Amino acid sequence: MDGFQRELVELLPRLRRFARAVCRSDADAQDLVQETVERALARRAGFRPGTRLDSWAFTIMRRIHIDHARAGARWSRVVTPADERTAEVADVGQADEDLRADALALRRAIRDLPDDQRLAVALVLVDGLSYAEAAAVMGVPPGTLTSRLVRGRQSLIRTLAAQGVSA
Amino acid sequence: MNRLDDEILMRRVDGELPPDEAAAVDAAAAADPGTAARLDALRRLRGLAREAFPATADPRDAALAARILAGAPARTTDWTGWLRSALAPRLAPVWAASAAAAFVLGLAFGQLGGRDEGFALAPDGGIADVGLVRVLDRRLAAQGPDAAGRAVGLSFRDAEGRWCRTFAAGDDGVAGLACREADGWRLEALAPFAASTGEVRTASADTPAPVLAAVDALIAGETLDAAAEARARDAGWR
Repeated sequence: MDGFQRELVELLPRLRRFARAVCRSDADAQDLVQETVERALARRAGFRPGTRLDSWAFTIMRRIHIDHARAGARWSRVVTPADERTAEVADVGQADEDLRADALALRRAIRDLPDDQRLAVALVLVDGLSYAEAAAVMGVPPGTLTSRLVRGRQSLIRTLAAQGVSA
Repeated sequence: MNRLDDEILMRRVDGELPPDEAAAVDAAAAADPGTAARLDALRRLRGLAREAFPATADPRDAALAARILAGAPARTTDWTGWLRSALAPRLAPVWAASAAAAFVLGLAFGQLGGRDEGFALAPDGGIADVGLVRVLDRRLAAQGPDAAGRAVGLSFRDAEGRWCRTFAAGDDGVAGLACREADGWRLEALAPFAASTGEVRTASADTPAPVLAAVDALIAGETLDAAAEARARDAGWR
């Protein structure tokens, strides 16, 4: 194995965490990680050694997620919202290990954010990337990233406050 | 004074302000409880977000790792160092499922192909290293390591009736568990191993925790004592 493979293996826990933050179900997150790995292997010639593999892989994951979200939007016109809601609730319950109530509330609140804000929050708050790195992954100017982050956070604090969770 | 906007407080919490501006925000927070409370809420949100989505190892990562290792046919001989870092405590749970680990590592070692010496595995997880096979076949625990630092530790039967033995390949820096099948020794677990430098050593005391965990998972009954070990060896591990 070589450095690329090693780094990609070591990146798996972070890729999965990012996927779980942007997807609404654990099964979707697993699919997203798997597709990201496949695409990273197929496109490895496009990775420039010496640059950050994490940013590169996150960018691949973000693109796949956006494609899925578009396809999902088309589906949601034919799937009744009630069905979708039931499926989500069941899955969330299953994936909620032993987190504290406030962490669980935040997890749900993050998953309810609009896509753009959720990605910004996942990259900066959950993964800890810098604004510049997160903006590059999202393919937007730094100012756009910052405003998504501000709005996302304001919304999270409001949501948690409304639920009586102090954050 | 100005009410600081959310963005600058957020930048402060995320470490995105130059030191002088960060100090100015801190001074403003010290002077105004309202600002301090907002800053505090942002900080707690950041901490809580990391808690809400921990970066934990997932059993499904082992299959993905296998896919990655199989996916790009590049070669390197510097695999013991890689193994050590991949099996570091941080990622240990990923590899703890011994069968999955053997699968992953079997693929990895299979790519080493033409190496003449040192530890080697067939792509299916069978042990292909002639020296190690000889040690597993013939050596007794009491004999300690051979000239290449290879030693066996515990011997036992698993629930399927296979003979299994823990081993250390000191010079290669790995220790593991192998079980005897009709066509040879099959690797069940592998972990980085640092040979102790003390004069008195027992192979089992040196056995890394992941290998011992694999023993616990497989063993049916007790480990063999020296006499039973010698009898099993003389019977060819059948």
